[in-house]
Amino acid sequence: MVDFMKRALELASEALSAQEVPVGCVFTINSEIIAESRNSVNATHNPTRHAEINCIDTVIAHCKNNHIDYKMYFKNVTVYVTVEPCIMCAAALSNLCVKEVIYGCANDRFGGKTVLDISKFYEYNYNLTGNLMANEAMALLKQFYKGTNPNAPEPKTKKEKV
Amino acid sequence: MSEIKEPRLKRPKMSETVDNFIDNIINMKKNLHAVLGDEFHSSIPLLQVYTGHVRDLKQLSKIIVILNEKIQLKEMQHLKRARKKDVLLCPTDYVSHDVKSEDSVQKYLEEHIPELKDAFEFFKITEVPLLAPKLKRQHEEFSKIWSCNFHPNKYLEKLCGNEFFAEDELTSHRLYMGMTFEIARFYLSQMNSSLEMTDIILRDTNATVIVDPSTKSVVAVAFDNRQYHPVQHSAMLAIDNVAKTQNGGAWDTATDVKDVSLRGIEIELLVHLKEKFPNVKFGARTYLTKNALNESKMSVSGSPYLCTGYYVYLMREPCVMCSMGLVHARANRVFYCLKNNRKGALGSKTKLQCVSSLNHHFEVFTDFL
Repeated sequence: MVDFMKRALELASEALSAQEVPVGCVFTINSEIIAESRNSVNATHNPTRHAEINCIDTVIAHCKNNHIDYKMYFKNVTVYVTVEPCIMCAAALSNLCVKEVIYGCANDRFGGKTVLDISKFYEYNYNLTGNLMANEAMALLKQFYKGTNPNAPEPKTKKEKV
Repeated sequence: MSEIKEPRLKRPKMSETVDNFIDNIINMKKNLHAVLGDEFHSSIPLLQVYTGHVRDLKQLSKIIVILNEKIQLKEMQHLKRARKKDVLLCPTDYVSHDVKSEDSVQKYLEEHIPELKDAFEFFKITEVPLLAPKLKRQHEEFSKIWSCNFHPNKYLEKLCGNEFFAEDELTSHRLYMGMTFEIARFYLSQMNSSLEMTDIILRDTNATVIVDPSTKSVVAVAFDNRQYHPVQHSAMLAIDNVAKTQNGGAWDTATDVKDVSLRGIEIELLVHLKEKFPNVKFGARTYLTKNALNESKMSVSGSPYLCTGYYVYLMREPCVMCSMGLVHARANRVFYCLKNNRKGALGSKTKLQCVSSLNHHFEVFTDFL
């Protein structure tokens, strides 16, 4: 478990070096990694390219190439992600009926549990556990938010009153 | 016996032809309505409080000054402290006595504000509005219960009314909504040559049109691919198509279009839509990198950024994933035609646009039918 989260944290650091929000993610089946990724929002100019969505894409491509029914395949997937999945990713993972999601630190800006508990309106809910190496995950986020987002427009500064 | 009229059903007639349906969406004069938070609709949530009936009206202002200092009502700035001879003391749960009664509040005063122990003739437990009124109508309603402070907001009044969009705005919103159905028709009729409205409506599918209102131009469109890829709902595809007009994009969906500004629309579909909607403009504003903006000394508004400022039109109310995707994309307004009772996140299952702790909020409009 810890090893998978360590790998996810490595991916998150990689995101940080690439000036992306440092979130990393690993998908496993039977304790084997089947997909891994990190945020790529700035590189793609697509704000939905979170680590989890990138991993989903990898799995879908794998299933397509090997003629596997992805619906069955996802049911055995355990997700390790350094930060609690956002509302969008939580919904996507719930739609796919993944088995379990284990995250590092909570996401108090966008969290699919913390900000809006999506389990309230889904029939299927995966097991959700947090707080695995949360400090490490949080430290990376803090480092990122000290810097600036290279793609975001400059904040509008208020005109000084004369 | 008088004849009972059936209420007009707010769903499309299944027997309608696709042409009729799209024509109706485009040509109807009915204005749209915003999908607002519960605080605009539901009955007033109430809070139980103690009030005291003042003995001497001449002492009222003095009593209020003392109360405002000793028992501050931080969360209840909207409530006036007095209503005629009754003064709002505090919510009942401020007083930690086992039995909530008029006696316990007298004891509370004696302990905490002895100077007011003889100020009141009697006490009452009463209920007051928990929230501030936002509309004139609410203010009138709330005032019957307790006097409230109220700051009328012209924009909100208009947003809650029946004439929010001017005629020309309504025409363009309806046209773009018609386009979402035209897109669904374009793709679905390739599989089914005798396509009927039911084939579009009953299918778990969606179509999205994203418009830049500053240039009145369609930036990106998308049709659902969820059958083959569970994340490729039309809104998620459309967000990626917008990214393609900004030198980005993650999904390999569009053909190689040389003109970056037109990369948000698949080429065959673009040809079809241009023919169907000859007066509509297509293409994004030119994307400039941050460096390019700096070099040409232009402000940030000189280049599009994600879906900032864009209007998003969807055939069906988007699900939680897509709605949050549109929050991440910073869409300015979202319009949908059909309700999504099972999965919809902008009215049906939840109202994501009303989650106040999120960093971005868009307005949501519906009632096209």
